[in-house]
Amino acid sequence: MLKKIKFFSVVFMLHFCINAQENVPNIALKTISGSSLQSSEILNNDGFSIISFWATWCIPCINELDAINELYDSWNENHNIKVLAISTDDARSKKRVRPMISGKNWVFDVYLDTNQNFKRSLNISGIPHTIIAYGSKIIHRRIGYSPGEEKDLLKIISNYKQK
Amino acid sequence: MVSLVMISKGFSQEDSSFYGSFESNGIYYQENENDKYNEQFASNNYLNLNYIFKSDWSFEAQVESYSPLRLQGYSDSFEKTHLSTLNINYSKKGFGLTFGSIYEQFGSGLALRTWEDRQLGINNSIWGVRSTFENKNINLKLIGGWQKKGSQISVGKVIGLDSEITVFNSNEIYQNLMLGFSYVGRFENLAVPAIYPPVGYDFNDLTNLFSARIDYVKNDFYFGYEQVLKSEDGVTQFGLILNDFVKRGSAHTMNLGVAKSGFGFDFTFRRLENMGFFGDRFEQGELFGETTINYLPALTKQHDYLLTNINIYESQPYVSFPDPSLMKAGEIGFQVDLYYDIKKGSVFGGKYGSNLSLNFSSWYNLDGEYSYNPLDYKSDFLAFGQKYFSEQSIELRKKWSENFSNIFLFVNKFYNKRYIEEKLGEVNSQIIVVDNTVKLENKRSLRFELQHLFNKDDKKNWYGYGLEYNFNYNFSAYYNNIVNYQNIEDDKPNYYSFGASYTKNSSRFSLSYGKQRGGLLCYGGICRYVPEFKGLSFSINTSF
Repeated sequence: MLKKIKFFSVVFMLHFCINAQENVPNIALKTISGSSLQSSEILNNDGFSIISFWATWCIPCINELDAINELYDSWNENHNIKVLAISTDDARSKKRVRPMISGKNWVFDVYLDTNQNFKRSLNISGIPHTIIAYGSKIIHRRIGYSPGEEKDLLKIISNYKQK
Repeated sequence: MVSLVMISKGFSQEDSSFYGSFESNGIYYQENENDKYNEQFASNNYLNLNYIFKSDWSFEAQVESYSPLRLQGYSDSFEKTHLSTLNINYSKKGFGLTFGSIYEQFGSGLALRTWEDRQLGINNSIWGVRSTFENKNINLKLIGGWQKKGSQISVGKVIGLDSEITVFNSNEIYQNLMLGFSYVGRFENLAVPAIYPPVGYDFNDLTNLFSARIDYVKNDFYFGYEQVLKSEDGVTQFGLILNDFVKRGSAHTMNLGVAKSGFGFDFTFRRLENMGFFGDRFEQGELFGETTINYLPALTKQHDYLLTNINIYESQPYVSFPDPSLMKAGEIGFQVDLYYDIKKGSVFGGKYGSNLSLNFSSWYNLDGEYSYNPLDYKSDFLAFGQKYFSEQSIELRKKWSENFSNIFLFVNKFYNKRYIEEKLGEVNSQIIVVDNTVKLENKRSLRFELQHLFNKDDKKNWYGYGLEYNFNYNFSAYYNNIVNYQNIEDDKPNYYSFGASYTKNSSRFSLSYGKQRGGLLCYGGICRYVPEFKGLSFSINTSF
């Protein structure tokens, strides 16, 4: 019992003491055509990136990206926002990624994290998980998705711009 | 504790950062057939800490605690509180070096994949050394060590080498060609079995896997092929290895497709023969199959609804001869996916358009000649034996208005229990699902789903329904229930669950009560695997 109390006390203290992860780590990813690149190469260096971790089998993830797809063109033109959809599909469902995104006409960039190293480096355990970054600096992160929540992402970015 | 506070503050400077995550999943088992878990509390807890220094160095440590019991469905090698992951990484100008726990994948994982999946209780990282080099055209990896097995390591040692070469990669004409070559070796010196007269093993302690792959993309067309050859190795049957039953193995996978705007088509073929490959040979056939070196998942559609997750196909890559009427040497089959965007304004698309997706998959035993006494087989390369599983599904996503959309899904499934589970029977079932979402004012939304499973065999028909209400973007509640209403023999069993979740940025807390089948549960905006249980469960998840 004492060991359990100690364990949870450490966790509780760390939660308040440790500074949140500040920057998007530089991890190898693949494009949907199979080329390798680093995560630092895909970020929007002079604007905002919305990094959304998803999978072809995750319905809330697809709902979120479908909703973002409808807003993406105006986000990109008017607010300099880049959406990066990081597929965490492994070998079981990776083959489904390219035909699915073509079939859905998604207009934003999709990358593959097939061994989930990028997801792991950001300490993500559940998807959908969305991160907003300015350059490589993380300004917001959110787990889960509710219908309509995609509009809040723009509010968060607007609030950050005003600071 | 005070030291940790000082350390964290001291280390969080401009060119370094210290961060982490915590996850805890606990269940109070109100009722359980296993006396050890009946009226007991169990939890799995994970604390992960990371430190990055000058962007070249990174350190990771993960402590796991299974207290007072581990959750059901996890190997007994997960116990107490222990340091599960520890690694130090250095990377600069394309060169990388890692000491400690290594997570890596060669190609699609047919030869090697080490990864962590907490919901499934998988963590087969390699405890050793990895060296990497990459530039625009070449990617090299060298890895060696022992595999993690709970709080221990495997007896067998693993070494691997992977190379990936970009032959050409042109953005002007959108064409690229990549070649890959891998080698993985597992060295395990098996002790002479305690039998009389004592007989050593005839085959090599070192088992080799050689792999080659090609990936080609030109405009809308893509093609990929990967082949793995495994050297002779003893086949594990019922916890024994016999010198008379030593076989080679192989894996072949081919994938081709077309991806144009509004249309996507994918075809995958795979053949696996005797592809079990473990850090410890005798893990093959065990309940949790720990220290698996390669990754051989089932290539079927992954489902999100409760009734579609009944009778899920598990891949059959191993040799298994449980009795003379049931002998398997692997699997062969294919999967097809088709996606189509029905345009806005068209007759079937309506004002907002629709999305149609089709999936077909079929998997079979390898055809050939099989012998039970003596144990032996000779398989034909492109011949299909007994059918294990087949499935056809059609899914239509439709948005009817700004505030209402739904998903309609129909699945037709054949499941050979005899060959997949080594029990009796075949199951033919059809499942219909209608999943509806209504957006309300003030960030509220409602989702309700109806499901029905038609089945003349096995446990007969089921129906199911679910309701999820989002009070705002942070707080939601749900209730779902599936009832096997035609199963009079078992008194119409039902599985229900109700619960709530609260999410704030990257933290989430959820609480639920019910009796659940194992499978994928998607509620509260999150998808995760849930084991079967009856009781009260909670989950805490936070990144900091």
